[in-house]
This record gives sequence, structure tokens and C-alpha cells, in this order.
Amino acid sequence: MHIPDSFMPLSQALIYWAIAIPFIFMSLRWARRDMDDMKIPILAALSAGIFAIQALNIPIGMGTSGHMVGAALVAIIFGSPFAGVLVLTLVLLVQGIVFADGGITVMGANILNMGVISGSIGYYGFVALRKRNIDIKVSAFIGAWLGLFISSIATAIEMSLAGTFPLVPGIVAMGTFHFVIGIIGEGLITAIAIGAIAKARPDLVDDKAVEASKEVTL
Amino acid sequence: MSNPNMKLLYVVLALAILISVLAPFLASSDPDGLESAAEKVIGEERFAELEEAEAAIDSPMPDYSIEGKGKLGEIIAICLGTIGILAISFGLGKIIKA
Repeated sequence: MHIPDSFMPLSQALIYWAIAIPFIFMSLRWARRDMDDMKIPILAALSAGIFAIQALNIPIGMGTSGHMVGAALVAIIFGSPFAGVLVLTLVLLVQGIVFADGGITVMGANILNMGVISGSIGYYGFVALRKRNIDIKVSAFIGAWLGLFISSIATAIEMSLAGTFPLVPGIVAMGTFHFVIGIIGEGLITAIAIGAIAKARPDLVDDKAVEASKEVTL
Repeated sequence: MSNPNMKLLYVVLALAILISVLAPFLASSDPDGLESAAEKVIGEERFAELEEAEAAIDSPMPDYSIEGKGKLGEIIAICLGTIGILAISFGLGKIIKA
């Protein structure tokens, strides 16, 4: 879902930068508050793992492929959508500058779509399901899938505003492809990763956010 | 004091390097969701035009490849990216806490 520079006029690309920058700033503030020497290796591990897995495009049929975004996974493990914003910002910077994957001028839009939208919806979807005592892997699957799907719809709307895609066909095409990419590339891998981490290191996914919000509502 | 999270870092890094080495062989070369959508809704001709458009900057390893180095170049490019991003995020974490 990496938008290339040619898909959006510069004037609009700058607007998405203006929207993305406050989120990037808040993600750095999150890191300053929440990061410690114990957590730095987890941040580094997730960043490297997500960069690698984004290079692995999975065929989804219809002559199309897709890959995991990973912001939801990062947000769930750190208990904050800002963690997903931070990791995706770093990954998108390296991808755009070094590998020409995703544009430079449109990077703000890519950070907004993949870092902010997919990660936040993935995370809050996960938390909402966990509060209803739904299995941790099922919650991770649905949250991550929904995050990717919604961010693809947002991308389609941005493409329409940019004059690149017609609105309705764009939403239908983006939605159709990412409905499937979200199941295989995002939902399944996020659920497997969360399941594995919950087994090996239950302390890392102990649903602190869920517990805290339960206490508040009670 | 040893940090138990370093073990997690080594395990995930090993997995990430494995994916980086295999990706050039396993990754689908089909267009991704956005490219497929573009082909479908704006037509192949206009899509090809946009695809050929100059990027805002020249990247050293475009499309995760090194010119003239084939699959080996792709493996090296993705591995460099994986290790580079690990170093950047580790460094950023250290700097931000310093």
C-alpha cells in the first residue's frame, strides 16, 4: 500500500505531512516516556522483523500480492498505538530513501495510512475484543485485519482526492484486494506472532491496557 | 544485569534475516494491492505512465536490488535494510533515553 510520489500532487502530499507530523512527534514523546533499556531490544527486534516481512509479498490471487504492515502488532505488544507509528515511520523512511519503496513527498500519507490508521484501529479493535473476553489470538486477528482494511479505504479516498483514482471504483478495488491481504498478510501473521509471544513471554502481552480500562469502568 | 529481552532480539533477528534471505525467492512478483487497484481503475497505460515517473530522489538500492547483482544483490539489499533498521531503532531508543 506504499503510495509512490507520482500518485499525489505535491500540494496535497504536504497536507498529509502536516497531519502526520504531530503523530510522529507524539510517538517520540511516547518513546521518551515509555522506552527504557529493557524495552529497547523489543523495539529494535520488531522494527527489523517488520522491515523484513514487508519485503515478503504473499500472492492473494486475482494477480495481486500483498504484505504485512505490522503497526497493529507493534501497538499491541507495547500497549500504545504510538509505538506502531514510531516503528512504521522508521521503516517507511528507510524504505522510501534507500529502496524507493513508497515516495518521499507522499511519505506523510503513507505514515498516516500505515502507521497511524492501521495501527490505531488494529490496537483499539484488539483492546475492545479483549475486554469482551475474546481469545487473544482471535482479537489480534480481527483487530489487525480491520486496521489494514480501513487503511486501504482511507488510501482509496486520498487517491480520489488526489485525482488519481475515481472514488467508488477505487474504494471497491482497494477494499477487495485488502480485504484478502488483511486476512492472510495482516490478521493471520499478527495472530500467530501474538500467540507465539504470549506463550514464550506472557509478560510482554499481559493486556495491561485492558486491565486498566476494566478497573476504570468498574 | 542481563536483559531477557536481548534473547527475544536475537530470536527475532534470526527470523528476520531468514526472511530477508528467502524473500527474493519466495516473494510474489505480482503487483501489490495499490498497484493492482491502479491498473484496474485508471487503466494500464496511465498506470504505466505514473510508474515510470521520476521519483523525488534517487535511491541507492531501488526495489530492494543492487544493479547487476541479481538475486544475490537482492539478498544483500534486504539484509542491509533489516540490520540497518535494527541499528537505527536501537540507536534512537538509546538517544531518546539519554
